[in-house]
Amino acid sequence: MTSSANGFSAVTGGDLSAGAAIPGGEARPVMVQLKGIRKRFGDKEVIRGVDLQVRKGEHVVIFGPSGSGKSTLLRTANLLEQPQEGSIVMGGVEYGPEARKQRSKRGSPVTLRRSVGMVFQQFNLFPHLTAVENIAFPLRRVKHMGRIEAERKAADSLEQVGLRRWAAHYPSQLSGGQQQRVAIARALSLDPQVMLFDEPTSALDVELVGEVLGVMRRLAEAGMTMVIVTHELKFARDIGDLNIYMEDGAIVEAGTREIYDHPSDPRTQRFLKAVL
Amino acid sequence: MTLMASDYDWSLIWESRGVLATATLMALKVASVALLLSVVIGLLFAVWRLAPARFSWPAALYINIFRGVPALVSVIWVYFGLGIVLDVRLSVFEASVIALVLLYSAFLAEIFRAALLAIPKGQQEAGLALGLTRWQTFAGVMLPQAAKIAMPNIGSMLIGMIKDTSTFVVIGLAEVVYVSQSIVATTYQPFVLYTAAAAIYVVLAFVIDYIFRLVEKSMGAGAEGPLIKALTTRRRRRLEALATGHMSSAPLPVTRRS
Repeated sequence: MTSSANGFSAVTGGDLSAGAAIPGGEARPVMVQLKGIRKRFGDKEVIRGVDLQVRKGEHVVIFGPSGSGKSTLLRTANLLEQPQEGSIVMGGVEYGPEARKQRSKRGSPVTLRRSVGMVFQQFNLFPHLTAVENIAFPLRRVKHMGRIEAERKAADSLEQVGLRRWAAHYPSQLSGGQQQRVAIARALSLDPQVMLFDEPTSALDVELVGEVLGVMRRLAEAGMTMVIVTHELKFARDIGDLNIYMEDGAIVEAGTREIYDHPSDPRTQRFLKAVL
Repeated sequence: MTLMASDYDWSLIWESRGVLATATLMALKVASVALLLSVVIGLLFAVWRLAPARFSWPAALYINIFRGVPALVSVIWVYFGLGIVLDVRLSVFEASVIALVLLYSAFLAEIFRAALLAIPKGQQEAGLALGLTRWQTFAGVMLPQAAKIAMPNIGSMLIGMIKDTSTFVVIGLAEVVYVSQSIVATTYQPFVLYTAAAAIYVVLAFVIDYIFRLVEKSMGAGAEGPLIKALTTRRRRRLEALATGHMSSAPLPVTRRS
């Protein structure tokens, strides 16, 4: 697996369309599957039996009111939240509590996370490391690269998000938008097969949202498989192939971008009327 | 007869400089060795203490007991008790180190625990989400940040340890108070010599505090000052070269352009 597998490195060469040609719909193989996910915090059930298939190259958008469980659902996809029921299937391996019952092909969370990249609302860059070291450190540990090789690859990753000249800066010396772009570069440098975005622009000042969405848009155009929890519905409408409205820990409605213009469920209608 | 200021023979300090210096070094040696061991053991107790309560209560018990024991009692327990229980003959030096480690690993456990808890939860999550193992996340993400937070407090612990060596005069450790006491015995100048001893502790405290703050500052963002700049020059040059792209295509190992 090379770094060009996700197509994003084509961006460096200015050819955004490379790898972006995604043939239509159902023929694409399933990349990740969530099966019957249930998650409780104490007595409160926050995910109430969710099934979801994400196909290769697909851009899945999850939206809905705060507390609807959309972030929690995303976090179960890489087992940052351990669901009480259900499983995650990826690359023919099953993860999660259901998988435990069948000893043969269950996978460890570490294995799952090594093919799933994640971007957080609060960026979560490591404050004790410079931008380039934030990327190089996981490359050294996960990909077993030497320091020089890892730092060089990290600098190239920064180039892809337009931040190479900020390589030697610490996160505290960068703007929120720059920090989030470093965080995206950090996740991408590990060649994930799927990228999860947990409200990536919610903590940003309005004038910085654009630069992060720009990077995500290019990534989408380059054919990356993405699952995005967001409140940016205009952006969602632009790139969402599968758009999911969640409420009370369950999927209310899912569909094409038609969902934004002609929602069929009254709950979706009510939410969209309130936010649009 | 009243004691006059002129009765104080301050020249005694200069005359005793040799033995006082040796005694200071002894105190430093005991405290430094004990600090290294206490940092390691304290870190283990901190991690243990952070486990769920049904596992961590022995760590909590240890910490709460030994934080409350005076150094004087600790060293008597170790020198006259532990040696008998374990049937080994501990040297004065060994007993002193163990006595300090028992107390200060408990203090350091609390310092590390607080430092680890001060790190935002997202840091560990980010490490795990990147595919790092729990251990890699702890060692590479949590520990460096906790160390920076804890650094000034670790310095305070070292200062405390050095002062506590003064009580080890009871088992005959040849540290500052022991030496002062023996000079007092022949010169009858307690005021002068104990003031000298205090001055030594105060100077050491200043120096140690300065060093630990320097180390703290050199970790992570905002490193400044000529000394820190000089210490981190190579790394900074390497990273800045990456920023301008000069090293991106350089062959391995990296050679400087002539």
